[in-house]
Amino acid sequence: MLEQVREALHQSTIRVITKLASLLPGTVALIIAVALSAVLGAILAFLLRRLLRAVDFDERLAHAVSPVWTQWSPSQSPTLLVTRVVFWALILIGFLIGIAAFDATLTSQLVLSIFTYLPNVVAAVLVLLMGTLIARFIARSVLIGAVNMNLQYARVLSLGVKWLVLVLTVAMALEHLSIGGGIVQLAFGILFGGIVLALALAVGLGSKELVSRSLEREKTTAETEEPFRHL
Amino acid sequence: MPELDAIPAEARQRLEEIGSADLIIGILNTAHDHEIGTVVKTVGEVLRELSQNLRAVVVHSPSDEAPERHEAARENESVHVVPWPLLAPNTSLTQAGSVSDGYRSIFALGESLGARGYGVIASSLETVTSQWISRLVEPVLNMDFDLVAPCYARQKLEGLLNNSILRPLMRALYGRRIRNPLGPDFGFSAKLLRRLLYLDSGLPNRLGSPVLFASEAACGGFQVCQAHIGERHPPQIDLMNLSSILADVLGPVFLDVERNAPFWQKVRGSHAVRAFGEPIASAQEDGSVDVRRLVESFQLGSRNLQEVWGVVLPPATLFEVRKLARLAPDEFHMPDELWVRIIYDFALGHRLRTISRDHLLRAITPLYLGWTASYALEVERSTPDMVEYRLEQLCDAYEAGKTYLLSRWRWPDRFNP
Repeated sequence: MLEQVREALHQSTIRVITKLASLLPGTVALIIAVALSAVLGAILAFLLRRLLRAVDFDERLAHAVSPVWTQWSPSQSPTLLVTRVVFWALILIGFLIGIAAFDATLTSQLVLSIFTYLPNVVAAVLVLLMGTLIARFIARSVLIGAVNMNLQYARVLSLGVKWLVLVLTVAMALEHLSIGGGIVQLAFGILFGGIVLALALAVGLGSKELVSRSLEREKTTAETEEPFRHL
Repeated sequence: MPELDAIPAEARQRLEEIGSADLIIGILNTAHDHEIGTVVKTVGEVLRELSQNLRAVVVHSPSDEAPERHEAARENESVHVVPWPLLAPNTSLTQAGSVSDGYRSIFALGESLGARGYGVIASSLETVTSQWISRLVEPVLNMDFDLVAPCYARQKLEGLLNNSILRPLMRALYGRRIRNPLGPDFGFSAKLLRRLLYLDSGLPNRLGSPVLFASEAACGGFQVCQAHIGERHPPQIDLMNLSSILADVLGPVFLDVERNAPFWQKVRGSHAVRAFGEPIASAQEDGSVDVRRLVESFQLGSRNLQEVWGVVLPPATLFEVRKLARLAPDEFHMPDELWVRIIYDFALGHRLRTISRDHLLRAITPLYLGWTASYALEVERSTPDMVEYRLEQLCDAYEAGKTYLLSRWRWPDRFNP
């Protein structure tokens, strides 16, 4: 009996080790493929960065799409963004090659599902990009307009509007990615309504005195501004 | 707005009846018939003063009242009246596009009648006298000047936008000391008006904002003078609309600065232009001015718009602005050098499109109110001569700061103090 148990244990250990041993070349191949693609990506990104800087890519882009670009005001330069995209694309390719070392059919299934999902990702990224742009633009417009109207709560108003647009954008992006489904819609409704309600309360109740002081100041402005003629 | 080919048949027939005219007086504001009657009489007096056998046409936007204009016109055979929709109702005279349509209509009419000179009145007709019209058109008709800019008798706190930015900026850049580049009442030669409204190709020029006339005349080598014409009642601007007015006025100015950069970079110093008539003193209101609201607006802007100003202004200027925002209203003083650098930096920011141009132009409002507060405190007890001296100092500061503009214009990235 003990002999049989030992035999069974021995067999299962051999099976596991054999299985692991059969996976090892694939794992090593995956690591090597990712490492090689990372090195290749780094080299390519470096060369691309040098090339783009040599041709003043950032400045040319700023001139070509200036108003839109400057509204977005990304924290990274366009050159850096392009090189990073190239770098990570190469790592992704290396990863797919490594996966193929395990099982060719697995890779094709993975690639197929990735490519089926890709349009959703692209659309979501575009929505996010445009939403961020529009949010920043509108927030800045509101901020400048509110300051020029002498509203003390200009920044709060601007932030509120910005977050309204951003929340709407994120909800739309998640919708494209098919993440969350009804929960996202529900959460968005609650959050959007919450922000609107918060703004309304801030203006209507919380900032009542602030608003009335602002309005009072506006009322007296006409009298105090009498001597000034700008034209 | 109609140009010559779009004239209604009735108006065309009227022009054919008139045949020809030497002078066109365009009234850009909508005028009541009794006011037009007065203008017709005034123009008649002017023509008699000029002692020439001149013929004039007064063109104006018709009011909704019953027309009595023909009776008014018959009172003086040398002056005719043509009602013509020059501007859409409630159009602001600072809206470049609409105003250029009005000027283009006046010019189209003048061209069809072979006019030599034009007088354009955009101020309220209540203040218009024969002296106004005479001094605006005489240098054009008798002395071959191309542009006659107005000099008004003003209160010290009137014409602030003109005094703070337009007058000194135009002088520093184009080298001509014109007091009122903003006008809005001008005398023109046909030659200059053609140049202003149409490009050499004959296509309509988008220029047309009154503020650009002086710079275009300077760049084109036209003969410019100015005339002391008397008091004017400037319109009261609702402060809520001030940022729109600033954007309307400064947008074309900054575009003009960009367009004429090759010209003004070569101009050094400035020279006076010939002035007709004696300066007319306006009764000045004395007493202290309450600037608290203006300073508060400036401080509010400083608290909230650092991010926007930071895109346009260099760190040193931004630091000065922040320091200024900590001053109490009665101690508030904005140095000329700082104000000049701010305007030059905004002109550069407009050219570089570092932020949306509309945002940039509107973000200048709190800074402008800061300058207004500082200026009002300085001149509240000044005599007209002292006010003029103060404005001359500001103009000198603009001229002195032109090297700063040149450096930043040529090397915006490298020269960023």
